[in-house]
Amino acid sequence: MISACHLYPDLLNLYGDRGNIIAFRQRCEWRNIPVKIKSISLGDKIEFKDYDFVFLGGGSDREQNLIAADLMKRRDRLKDAIEGGLVVLAICGGYQLLGKYYQTAEGKQIPCLDILDLYTTAGSKRLVGNLVVEVKLGGKPLKVVGFENHSGRTYTRSVKPLGKVLCGSGNNGSDGLEGARYKNVYCSYLHGPLLPKNSGLTDRLISLALKRRGMEYHLKQLDDSLEESARRVMLDRLGLRM
Amino acid sequence: MGFRLSAAILAGKAAARLSRACGYRGTSLPGLVARKICPAALIDLSAQVRRGIIVVSGTNGKTTTTNMIAGVLGDAGYKVIVNREGSNMISGVTAGFVANSAVSAHVDCDYAVLEVDEASMPAVLEETNPKVVLLTNFFRDQLDRYWELDKIIGVINDSLQKLKKSTTLVLNADDPLVAQLRGKTGLPAIFYGLSGYELARKTNTQTREAKFCPCCGFALVYEFFNYGQLGTYYCPNCVFQRPELQVEALGTVSKSNVNCCRIRYKKGEASLVIQALGLYNLYNALAAFTVGLHLGINVRTILNSLKKYQPVFGRMERFTYKRKPVYLNLVKNPTGFNEALAALCDAEGMKDVFIAVNDNYADSRDISWLWDVDFELLGREHQAFETFICSGRRAEEMALRLKYAGVPVEKITVNNNMRLAIEQVLSGPAQACYLFPTYTALWPAHKILEFLAVKGNADDQRMPSVS
Repeated sequence: MISACHLYPDLLNLYGDRGNIIAFRQRCEWRNIPVKIKSISLGDKIEFKDYDFVFLGGGSDREQNLIAADLMKRRDRLKDAIEGGLVVLAICGGYQLLGKYYQTAEGKQIPCLDILDLYTTAGSKRLVGNLVVEVKLGGKPLKVVGFENHSGRTYTRSVKPLGKVLCGSGNNGSDGLEGARYKNVYCSYLHGPLLPKNSGLTDRLISLALKRRGMEYHLKQLDDSLEESARRVMLDRLGLRM
Repeated sequence: MGFRLSAAILAGKAAARLSRACGYRGTSLPGLVARKICPAALIDLSAQVRRGIIVVSGTNGKTTTTNMIAGVLGDAGYKVIVNREGSNMISGVTAGFVANSAVSAHVDCDYAVLEVDEASMPAVLEETNPKVVLLTNFFRDQLDRYWELDKIIGVINDSLQKLKKSTTLVLNADDPLVAQLRGKTGLPAIFYGLSGYELARKTNTQTREAKFCPCCGFALVYEFFNYGQLGTYYCPNCVFQRPELQVEALGTVSKSNVNCCRIRYKKGEASLVIQALGLYNLYNALAAFTVGLHLGINVRTILNSLKKYQPVFGRMERFTYKRKPVYLNLVKNPTGFNEALAALCDAEGMKDVFIAVNDNYADSRDISWLWDVDFELLGREHQAFETFICSGRRAEEMALRLKYAGVPVEKITVNNNMRLAIEQVLSGPAQACYLFPTYTALWPAHKILEFLAVKGNADDQRMPSVS
């Protein structure tokens, strides 16, 4: 049984990100891997160490501030769990929150959870559009496709990026990098949502979650023709090859 | 006024003819041209409306409600100007006046009913002096353009505050995001709402806005939900709550193609019947009723007008193909799509479904919103459906969404050729077809349907009698 947790689904649900949870659940169930997904909101009790997979999405400014305050109280336990191999997917606002700080346009530094060595600064122009990133999964390159919509510019320091931008802006529109990776934490600006059509990445997260649970982690191959064709539409349009 | 305005109107009308001749719908071009020549065109033209301007805005239901109000006022014997569908930004609103103005710049009308895009509210309110501003609801819509809902509501709130106190707000009491505007703007307000909906839910699993009190930030408590965040709510921390209703719908019944309810208002009760599917259409009719009542229109005239109202272009618009009913309904955001799905699942018999998703600018380039729609409903009730045909620029993503919603893959087809896809759904095995295109897919789908099927109800089925 995989234990998964959707953090603040009632608040962080701005860009169809619940599709990530839908994809994670379905791809487990289609393989008869039992999975339990718990929704956790403000003030709910949670022991991160008991979970295998945690998803954190993005929200509007007001909701994100509420969440930051709530997560701050749980910060140490989340960090310990991450150091111990907890699998995390964080998108957009959730991604920024895991870093050291967010610097506003006025130069004020708002502290974040300080779990990943990265920071974000406010940008004037929003980075909006289709985004393709080349991600190495188990040594094999995978073109991950989605849509970005953020004004923050994120800079990774000692943590690795998720991948290289092939088309679009990515972390900050200047260094050609997108997302971040640390232990079993995957961060990205990709909405779309990310997991449904990038099923290679979904399966990677499921494998890691199974491994953390101490289960055999060779995944049965599924028929991914619809996933592939949904991804191919955008790659074709942008002149990229599968 | 004078020469400059006349020149602007001439040029605007010429632009309209030219764009029609070139085959464009070009409904806002005349306004754009007129404003270039005479920047005060809208101010001057709108000031001539004899009895008043009614501005209709909000996320969903603008077009339908605007047309319902215009119908009511027309049936009451007034001369009415309306801006045409899809031209609801400031140039489109101006174009509506240009089209209805003499070259002498004289406008002959009693009322103007203006559908206004949320983002264009500040500009339109500044240049017109509305007697009534109606706000239907606020849902997330096209985030790549408008960003977050909070921001757009803030902009509308600011522009309402600049209005004279002679403007009356007509507000949907069931939407806390709309209802908050009375307190914040200080304008006189009339509220309408829907109580006693037979399928109202105690809980809401849909993605919804407004979880928090707009006044104090405390979590709102709901007694029931109608759809989205619409329902009966209160704040446990401050005085904010669903306002007292001046027009209240009770005992709602939706059956086949008819929606009806009792309406309670200050001076009595009445029975409202509309020939349009969907709870959202009942809200639209309720809004039109409230505006009509406020303008002093005879209640019987309002009810008769709403009863014969025919859905506008692509709003559960009825066609017939070989005696089979075919419905065409625009989808543009999660709440609208959820409501369309609710109406779809309520309909009896087996159904074939066509969904066309485009990601052009006017549709929202980001199609993430498809994942906020509760297609899981179709997954659970897929026995009532024969086929799902996906088309449009993002047909594959739509097909994927259905797969992950639990619709059996063998019922899902992708056909990027819209003409063939529509032929396919029309000749499907079910007893009824439902077509759901996004904005830029609506026009081609409509054209193809007009060619292949017959507009309206070919059997001329009698209206069920409602006592």
